[in-house]
Amino acid sequence: MTVNAQLIEHMMNPKNYGPMTESHSEGIGKNPQNGEKVIIYIKVEDDTISDISFQAIGCSTTVVAGSMLTEEANGLNFAEVSTLIDSTMKILEGVPTEDAVCTEMVALALKASIDTYDMRRDDSNYPAITYQVKDSCTPKEERV
Amino acid sequence: MKTLAIMTHEAWLTTLMAGFMSSGENKQRLFDFSDILFRHFTWIERELVKSGEKYDYDRDSIPIKVNKLSLLLNNIVQRLGQIDLQLIGSGHDLSARISSDIKYITSALIRLPDESITAFSVERRLDGIDLSEEATDALTLFLFEESYKEYELIMIYNYLKAHSEDAYINRIFQILIDESFFHLKSFGDMMAKMGILGVPRVIHKEMYQIDDIREFLLAGIDEELAAKEECRKLSEAVSANSPELAKFFDFINNQENYHIALMKDALLHYASINNGETK
Repeated sequence: MTVNAQLIEHMMNPKNYGPMTESHSEGIGKNPQNGEKVIIYIKVEDDTISDISFQAIGCSTTVVAGSMLTEEANGLNFAEVSTLIDSTMKILEGVPTEDAVCTEMVALALKASIDTYDMRRDDSNYPAITYQVKDSCTPKEERV
Repeated sequence: MKTLAIMTHEAWLTTLMAGFMSSGENKQRLFDFSDILFRHFTWIERELVKSGEKYDYDRDSIPIKVNKLSLLLNNIVQRLGQIDLQLIGSGHDLSARISSDIKYITSALIRLPDESITAFSVERRLDGIDLSEEATDALTLFLFEESYKEYELIMIYNYLKAHSEDAYINRIFQILIDESFFHLKSFGDMMAKMGILGVPRVIHKEMYQIDDIREFLLAGIDEELAAKEECRKLSEAVSANSPELAKFFDFINNQENYHIALMKDALLHYASINNGETK
């Protein structure tokens, strides 16, 4: 990891970190190989993320990725969030797996939070969706 | 009581951070006060366990970025005042004790001499040590990772201890808590000197609300081994520029051996309980 001022700022003061009470939806990104996971909580108004937070069971890289990606996602509508997720996954294609996996986990948690929200339009008790990281960019749903 | 636990948790961490930031005579007093507040936290937690009230270690984020120590000390005084308000009229011995401590700590905090704070300068230099850029980056990443890990371990072992009546296992947990406190204080001090001090993030419940302690201990041994390797690599990275710093990380590395031995001892103890033996 290249250590620069922006990265240090995210490590010293991770943005949007912590659980959210009364979130409208939650999504989980998980690395089944080591048990690390990211949980993203969102509040939604008119299909736009009006508030977002995350928690991570993982390393500093995951926290930095969560801090950066949630900053970018806050205030975006669902179409823009999908573009953000797709472009993040695209960037990760050229990155060695061991370096990419933490960011991928965050991106998948964000995708899961949006997908959970969609499922809750019909079923308000729909559980938080979990996606697992893997080399392929097609996420596999795991029901917990 | 649950609110009191959260407020005390936050006051303890804020005071500990103030201790890291201080580079003068205030440091030890702030560490002593933070230790007292941590003990308050554990006593309040014990009351919560006894009463069966559900609780967790969630808390608000704690803003600590100040350029004068007095600003943070005023913040701590306010926090302590709010805790004291919660205690009014409770009539418990514990409340009386905490209230009495708060009155003394507050009176001492407002008299501490002020200091300019450099703990957020992001200079990433240690006095008298000229590290290469690569070694500085390695040290920076290590300190962020491991300072959080030590806080996490303190809280996990503290939670397990609060929920255990087993004296043998609680002795082991207490040693591991004390050891993690030493490591956290060492790393926090170093972060403040380098201008990269940050409050450890909130721990997810899954980390301490553990169903299978055996599995947790086995994973913990693996984590200790990984931490040893990180210490070894860091010692190697800084040895060319600072044999003194390299020795410090070798010292931390060697301390992990005993942690592993204690965790193996705990595993044997749980196995003997499961086999119906007594220790």
